[in-house]
Amino acid sequence: MKKFTIQITILMLLVVGLQACLEETPRFYDFESYEFSSVDEDGGTWSTILVIDPSEIQLAAPLSVNSPAYKQELKDVKNLTSTLTSAERKAVEYWTSNPVIRWNEIALEMAAKYNLIPGPNADGTYTLPNPANPVGPPAFPFAHPPYTSRMLAYLSVAQYDGLILAWKYKFQFKRMGPSVQDSSIKSAYPENGLPSYPSHGAVIAKVSKEILTLMFPLEAQVLENHYQQHLQSMLHAGINVPSDLEAGVYLGDEVVKLAKMRASIDGMARAQASKPVSDSIANAAFERFGWKWQNTEVPQRPVGLTPLFGQVKMWHVPTVEEVRSPPPPAIGSAEFEADVRELERFARHMTLDQRRIANWWEDGLGSYTPPGHWNKFAKLSIVQAKLNPLRAARVFAYMNTAIMDAGVACWDIKYYYHYPRPVETIRNFRTILGTPNFPAYTSGHSTFSAAGAEVLAHFFPTQAQQFRVWAEEAAMSRLYGGIHYRFDAVEGTIQGEKVGNYAVARAKSDGIDE
Amino acid sequence: MNQFYRSGFILTCLYISCISPSFAQMPFDEIMMPKGELCVAVLGEHGSWNRYWEGDYFRENANIGTFTRQMLMPMVAMGISKKVNIIASLPYIQTEASGGTQVGQADLQDLSVSVKVDWLQQRVGAGRLLFLTNTHLSNPVGSYLSDYMPFSIGAGAPEIGMRAITGYKMDNGLVFRLATAYLWRGQTQIERDFYYQDGAVYSPFMNVPNAVNIQGAIGYWTLENRLRLEATYMSLNCLTGDDIRSYNRPQPTNKMEVSQVGFWAQYYIKADRGFGAIAYFNQTVSGRNVGKAATMGLGLTYQFKAY
Repeated sequence: MKKFTIQITILMLLVVGLQACLEETPRFYDFESYEFSSVDEDGGTWSTILVIDPSEIQLAAPLSVNSPAYKQELKDVKNLTSTLTSAERKAVEYWTSNPVIRWNEIALEMAAKYNLIPGPNADGTYTLPNPANPVGPPAFPFAHPPYTSRMLAYLSVAQYDGLILAWKYKFQFKRMGPSVQDSSIKSAYPENGLPSYPSHGAVIAKVSKEILTLMFPLEAQVLENHYQQHLQSMLHAGINVPSDLEAGVYLGDEVVKLAKMRASIDGMARAQASKPVSDSIANAAFERFGWKWQNTEVPQRPVGLTPLFGQVKMWHVPTVEEVRSPPPPAIGSAEFEADVRELERFARHMTLDQRRIANWWEDGLGSYTPPGHWNKFAKLSIVQAKLNPLRAARVFAYMNTAIMDAGVACWDIKYYYHYPRPVETIRNFRTILGTPNFPAYTSGHSTFSAAGAEVLAHFFPTQAQQFRVWAEEAAMSRLYGGIHYRFDAVEGTIQGEKVGNYAVARAKSDGIDE
Repeated sequence: MNQFYRSGFILTCLYISCISPSFAQMPFDEIMMPKGELCVAVLGEHGSWNRYWEGDYFRENANIGTFTRQMLMPMVAMGISKKVNIIASLPYIQTEASGGTQVGQADLQDLSVSVKVDWLQQRVGAGRLLFLTNTHLSNPVGSYLSDYMPFSIGAGAPEIGMRAITGYKMDNGLVFRLATAYLWRGQTQIERDFYYQDGAVYSPFMNVPNAVNIQGAIGYWTLENRLRLEATYMSLNCLTGDDIRSYNRPQPTNKMEVSQVGFWAQYYIKADRGFGAIAYFNQTVSGRNVGKAATMGLGLTYQFKAY
């Protein structure tokens, strides 16, 4: 029996020891609320992206802090803050002083949840996700990279424009928050010197909830719950009174109307072309170049992914023709053959480092896609630089619109040249990554990443080198994965840089970034 | 899903192979391999499936076609004492799919070391009641990527298992056996740092769910204890984990469940030390987030007095 006891003891110690070694698997970025590195009193004058004429959205002046109604609000907030449950306290901590971060994370989570490609029906046909019947099956949407890039662009732009308006009225009315009015009310977050009317948090909450509900209709209830919790948390944090929130919600609503209007006519509804249209695009390429890309899945998908995404309205590039890439090398040409041999070499002698790079950048089905990956980088840099919500939204807005523009430019080229994938041109070629359902040239990862890197390099110049190294790595990762030729990646990177610079040029016009 | 085959397989090996009949048979019998006795074995296994469970939805996938998994596993077992044996194994595994365009995986999988202890031999009626335990530790040794399912050759995580084995061996050669194990699994390091498991996860580590593993067998010894035949049942159930999402690939966090029935035959060429042969077949009958595999294996054992 003694032996048994010893054996058990050793085992328990081992299990406990190993359990202690387990790494955390966090669901969100855990960071302390911080004091903003700038207040940006002139933020209300920055140029909006979505809202053409900001003066068309007017906000009424707040009640005086001496009015009985305001005093009652203050009293209610004081009561609320003094009787917080632990769940309420946790919510205050979760939302932080920069809730742009959290809504961005929620968007990425939904992207990953819905980034599932519809499978075939029993008879070998495929059913497309249908916004008129979002439950499906298949569920709507399929949050593939173009879809996700657009979702993030609208989300970030609506947040940014809403916050520009919020800043404008904050510094017009200068009504300070509860902790300034009543020193016995403590703000849960570091004091930032920002007027609290209208609540910037409420603007963020409202536009985020509405845009994400538009993009992920099945998540309406989940988003409503996040929204309510976020609004409550601002009262619980002692940073706002209800009339601050109402004003923020109002501004948010006005911006959402404009965002929805643009989204309804930006061309996305037509992007997933019908089979006849798709076939005519493929045949036009075949007549022009003597090749066409084809889906290699079984059963074969009748239409590639969003053949007409290249016609979707861009944010910063006047016409897609301005950023078109040159023709790819002809199949069978010396350059083509050299790049094919390179792929064969990578596949035969894959180093662990190459494999790691391919997988780290895969961002494939079930993931938050490459745009999501760049949003994570932006998030980390934003928190590190202690940006206020307006600045944070600015980074996300310019980056995500640039990334979407890059997607549009890339898709325009993809379906114009209709270039086959390596598994189609190389006999018996096997890859470590799944081959996507759209043509090869140019590489989406490369364009998305180069555009994202250019914008982040502008906002965080001390990290510019790192962002560009990452963009290069993202481009190369597709070669290691066996799903792109080098010329796809090289031209994609150039194209992405070009697109990114349009966004940077527009951001520079505010004259406020270092 | 492959680690289940491994678990089930190693389990089978640990208890059944490497036993010379001259020393009264099996590890769950009253006599194990005596002190100084060494047994080496090589097993080859071929498993394949063409349908799998995505959660509880049983489906085909033409982009996988028929999935094949082959294994070559050297093993060594040693009698430390009459009551304590040690067994180690290190499989080499290769996977491939007949459909689709993705390459399979081939590498050394996990080194497993286990200690088996004989606790009880009690005469009851026309036989003996037995109780043994087996404790194993396994850890990946190759550089295989676990987050490449279904091609991954293993879960890529350390595992500690504790198994209780009870049996009743009758004098007429019939054996009844039930082994129940709790498998504690650690984490597997993957090559991305964001993934989806019932929500977003920002980590390059995945938690591999703990599992309960049950093995039952009804066996019969014949030809003067040189031939052993067994009908076997094996189940493995993860206690937590998520399902494979719609038309998506599996991942190591999945709640995998499998139960299989099988047949096992072992023949000792001489009724003493020396060579023995093993053949077995297992058929998956139900599962969750695993392929419905049929597996067959052949093995050769050689036992000798080492010191």
